[in-house]
Amino acid sequence: MTITTSTAKNAQLEAIDESGWGARFRFFQPHNPAFWVYVIGVGAGAIGMIKYFGPALGGTYRLAVTSGIVFFGIYLIPWLLFLRRQNRYTAQPGGLLATGFIWGAVAATFWIALPANTALLEIWTKLLGPAGAETWGAGLAAPIDEEWSKGLGLILLIALAPRLVRSAYDGFIIGAFIGLGFQVSEDILYAYNNATASFGVGQLESSLFILALRGFAGITSHALFSAIFCAGVMWILGRAPGERRIGRGLLACLAAMFLHFAWDDASGLFGWSTFLTLFAPYLLLMPLAIVVLLVVRRLASSKERAWMRELLAPEVESGVVDQPLLDAVSGLHKDRRHFRKLVHDRRRARHLVESAGDLAQEIAASGGQETARVAHARAEVLRLRGA
Amino acid sequence: MSTGIPGWVPVEHRWFGLDRRMLRPALFVLVVALLLIYGWPALNAIVPWNNPTRAGDVLDLGAGATAVPPVGWQLEDGTLVSDRTGVSPTQESVKLAKGGATIQMTGASFNGTAAQFLDQVITSQDPQADISGSPATFTTTSGLVGVVRSASGTGGDELLAAFKMSLSTPATAPALLVNVSAVPGEFQQVSSEVETFLRSITPEAAA
Repeated sequence: MTITTSTAKNAQLEAIDESGWGARFRFFQPHNPAFWVYVIGVGAGAIGMIKYFGPALGGTYRLAVTSGIVFFGIYLIPWLLFLRRQNRYTAQPGGLLATGFIWGAVAATFWIALPANTALLEIWTKLLGPAGAETWGAGLAAPIDEEWSKGLGLILLIALAPRLVRSAYDGFIIGAFIGLGFQVSEDILYAYNNATASFGVGQLESSLFILALRGFAGITSHALFSAIFCAGVMWILGRAPGERRIGRGLLACLAAMFLHFAWDDASGLFGWSTFLTLFAPYLLLMPLAIVVLLVVRRLASSKERAWMRELLAPEVESGVVDQPLLDAVSGLHKDRRHFRKLVHDRRRARHLVESAGDLAQEIAASGGQETARVAHARAEVLRLRGA
Repeated sequence: MSTGIPGWVPVEHRWFGLDRRMLRPALFVLVVALLLIYGWPALNAIVPWNNPTRAGDVLDLGAGATAVPPVGWQLEDGTLVSDRTGVSPTQESVKLAKGGATIQMTGASFNGTAAQFLDQVITSQDPQADISGSPATFTTTSGLVGVVRSASGTGGDELLAAFKMSLSTPATAPALLVNVSAVPGEFQQVSSEVETFLRSITPEAAA
């Protein structure tokens, strides 16, 4: 064994330890106070949800609520597939992401945001008058109550899985799942509210209208806001070595809150132009939100990409993984695109990147030890490379 | 490298069986959540309403429809014509409050007569509600014909009024629901103001 190999192995073990990759997530932790706060929050949220939807399910608005659940349940599928693809590098376990999703769907909405928004909107109505609150109230209440209520879910998940939630990219992915839960829950609530506004007439059409409206707007809604906000929280906390960036973190949190404010109060911000009031959310705010998201994702992933390179460095030295494959599996979209061109076969390139990811995951799960699963994953990479 | 059995809390970190190291984040979440849930309502309770209607105020009900609110009531929701913010007649909501009485107006999209709309409202809200009074016709000063029903109980008095906001094509026009509720003994105090208010409702055509 050469000195270089030993250095690479040490760096690999350090990357496994720092990232926490491979650690298991256990939800049931009765010794952990964060577990009980989570249970209280989700429990109280579930009671609030039953109180809100219960009478509707048993009465006039049953069709609106059930169609809302079915429509937005289907709407959820492409979102989950999309976010699964984003859960790369030192990927988070499904159980942890599901825990975040449930916090967003039940606790953040029905335990915190609903009563908090109701009170804060009334305060703004008292201070600004009904017309002022109609224009500005939503944007001055929701970014505070909702971004914080979702962000609290991330704090609980850190306490429930301190080894797993380390980098800004972890916050980014977990935030997206918490936000997605919040978004779908809110969409169902809107489907119900819209049906009550027409006193139960045309409930199915009403739910379809909300699906079309909020489904499209949902592209740059809670999942995006929370991904940015929670990445910011992780930069402020600095849980990975060298990742504490308080200024950047505050900026990310404020950017998420500003995007939320601008979306909610577009009629106030662009009130001087009918055209902009109608189209600025889609022509200006949506592209702006996507640009901010991409910048935050790129910055947030740098630590994870470094860990991935360190984790696979011994495999590069031994020739199992070559440099272009390492660049692709630990790189950005443009690196993977470059790799596809190099391989001249899109499918093969995808299989190679996925198999290298599998190898990294098995190495992390074994704590850097040689196991049968690591050997098998390595053999798979070699088989696909045709070595 | 971390070692140890997952879930095992070292004795020096235990507090009543809980992991003391996780108390800080758990308490932080609990305190911030409780502040949002109960802090805003507490602040809301001490901030008073100060938006009384004044002589000359006119409520904008959308598409040129208007109503004149009684003077001295708190306008808690709704838009005045002088606000010039634009109102949708099918989404407008108005709330006026005075003492134990409130007047709420809700615009909606509905195809049919005012009587059918009121039936739909009663069915959707509570089919078992004790709406004892039989439907009565109510005509506003502008000639708008609506339907009024009332209810009384131990919780107070309630009056529901429904209008279709057009003199020429009422069937397809937006609907307007006015819901007046008052604690026991309060309705008589405000009944003349409520009647004047209802008579002031004016659809677009007569505006």
